[in-house]
Amino acid sequence: MSNESIRKTWTQPWSYREGTIVTTAILLLGFVMQAASGGVVLRSAGFPWNLIAGLVFLALLIVAFVLWQKNPVMKWLGGVKVALPGILGFTFLILLMGFVKQDVAPQSGLSKLFGLTHIVHTWPFILINLYLMILLGIVIMKRLTAFNLKNVGFFLNHFGLFLVLFSTALGSSDLQRVRMNCYEKEVEHIGLDSSGKQIEMPFDIKLLNFNIDEFRPKVTIVDNQSGQIVEQKGKAQYEVLDRNLLDLYNYHLEVEQFLETSGKVGDSYFAVNEPGAAPSANVKVTTQNGGSVVSGWICSGSYAHKPEALKLSELYSLVMLPAEPRKFSSELNIQTKNGKKVTTTIEVNRPFKIDGWTIYQLSYNTEMGRWSNLSVLELVRDPWLPVVYFGIFLMMGGAAFLFITGKPKNGGTDHVA
Amino acid sequence: MWLDFPVFASVAICCWLGASALFFTSGKKLMNEIAAVLSLAGTVVLLVFVTILWMHIERPPMRTLGETRLWYAIFLSGIGLVSYFRWKYKWLISYSLGLSILFLIINLQHPETYDKTLMPALQSPWFIPHVIVYIFAYAMLGASSVVALRNLFFVPSENTIKGPIQMADNLVYLGFSFLTFGLLFGALWAKEAWGNYWTWDPKETWAFITWMFYLVYIHYRFRHPSEHKRAMGVLAVAFIVLLICWFGVNYLPSAQNSVHVYSE
Repeated sequence: MSNESIRKTWTQPWSYREGTIVTTAILLLGFVMQAASGGVVLRSAGFPWNLIAGLVFLALLIVAFVLWQKNPVMKWLGGVKVALPGILGFTFLILLMGFVKQDVAPQSGLSKLFGLTHIVHTWPFILINLYLMILLGIVIMKRLTAFNLKNVGFFLNHFGLFLVLFSTALGSSDLQRVRMNCYEKEVEHIGLDSSGKQIEMPFDIKLLNFNIDEFRPKVTIVDNQSGQIVEQKGKAQYEVLDRNLLDLYNYHLEVEQFLETSGKVGDSYFAVNEPGAAPSANVKVTTQNGGSVVSGWICSGSYAHKPEALKLSELYSLVMLPAEPRKFSSELNIQTKNGKKVTTTIEVNRPFKIDGWTIYQLSYNTEMGRWSNLSVLELVRDPWLPVVYFGIFLMMGGAAFLFITGKPKNGGTDHVA
Repeated sequence: MWLDFPVFASVAICCWLGASALFFTSGKKLMNEIAAVLSLAGTVVLLVFVTILWMHIERPPMRTLGETRLWYAIFLSGIGLVSYFRWKYKWLISYSLGLSILFLIINLQHPETYDKTLMPALQSPWFIPHVIVYIFAYAMLGASSVVALRNLFFVPSENTIKGPIQMADNLVYLGFSFLTFGLLFGALWAKEAWGNYWTWDPKETWAFITWMFYLVYIHYRFRHPSEHKRAMGVLAVAFIVLLICWFGVNYLPSAQNSVHVYSE
């Protein structure tokens, strides 16, 4: 430490001090550029310019490394003493993101000026990313030129991360994401992007059928005065109507009849299967000390019918909450421009891939619930995805390596860091 | 089912208190063995509870903060026991058990209102590995921070620190590899669920910050193997970040309306 503290800044060997200065300078430059740009939300260029820029970047990096491999500055750039301030500078930006709500309209002049609500689209973020990629590239080449088997874990971790950063930075502009509103029995081929612009898709989609499978509705006790759910410490606030006997608050419920879809005729409910039909139940409620008995119908209601509560006392009522979706799915008929015809069913977590596009089940008309005739699909095209995945799998390999061989010797493990 | 929790939790807490007391007071081999068995018994009791709970609510019990605290207590006590067999440090297992007890007490104070419903986005084969790997990582890293704090305050000389610091490293490497898996599993799942592997959602942002702090620790240790105090300081701070990521985000203004947080 003593040698380091008397060394003048910018005399070799460079250390943390220079690393910190460079990182700070990059951040400051970024913020100045951001302020000067007048709060523009940055987007990178699309294909083929991003690919060309990426290849030029790689070529420059390799040439620079080969030419100045022996230069002390290059050695410093491939070391921990420059990497740590860089990582911390990047962490600083991410911390800003962690505290300032992102992707909303800026609240103050300051956050508008420096783009604090859209950090990932600002100059400091882009510059520090570029800087980290340069450092990663150099340290990878440094270790590759002195390759030995012990470096496998190192290589997986660092090259994997490099690929992920590289491909996400360049690929973000080629990513297309559109929403499509499909109505039952109708054919659609127009999607809307995030700005609302219409995009012609390379296929027609016909929604054959939209299906929702719901959980049994929940019942709860509400206060007649406030309409709020009554809470009692240590007891369940609601119960799912999936049994015939249940206890709630100080009441004992006996479900005499449950109708998944029903309509009201007179004072009772009957099973019907028409749009807007809502779940209902006939329940007998007794107080737990065996006191008064109330029985009657409760209904969660729907866009077409009013809900019905059961008054238990002057204070409380029993209500049925709207059923929550367990699963929703769309049966689609897809016809591509080149004549391919497919029928498939998609649901949340089960997308379908066709011609470079992935079709996701996104939403439906939630107000209509199970009777929705609208299915909202999201279609994503992400041509750089294989590169990102390759990077992710390398990093997984690196993590596995860390897990298996990361036994520390005297401080740290050179397999990975 | 959560209504039976006080019974299971009390049994586990008694086992662990007994184990810690035996570890502390007795040096005899037999007593240590009994303590280890007691510690294991507490963990098994909780495992039984979580299994019954899982069957009862018909979904993986990994959706609410209380449910994750339960897993944390199980893993942390398990890790404490495994590291006891590996390194023979009684203080680590006692601290681990102490922390596990703390988490059970928090759960006892905030009784869960269990809820069987699970939104469709969470119904995925990725759900269980993603959460389990994460909570396991949290437990590993939590244990490493206990080691770090002890190294900061209670280890007098450079000679005696070698063992404890190796243990901190080992826990961090294991924890960090799980953290990385959790992060990447999450990315792959997110792509499958909504077509985006990374959206800088507040939870993701904080998970990434946590990952960065442990990254700093690993690099610092690699470059400065003998600067123990600073490394341990980094480790202690990293755990605070981890706690923000786990439940602190629920209180951050930046995370309002996030769909990614564990529910209360």
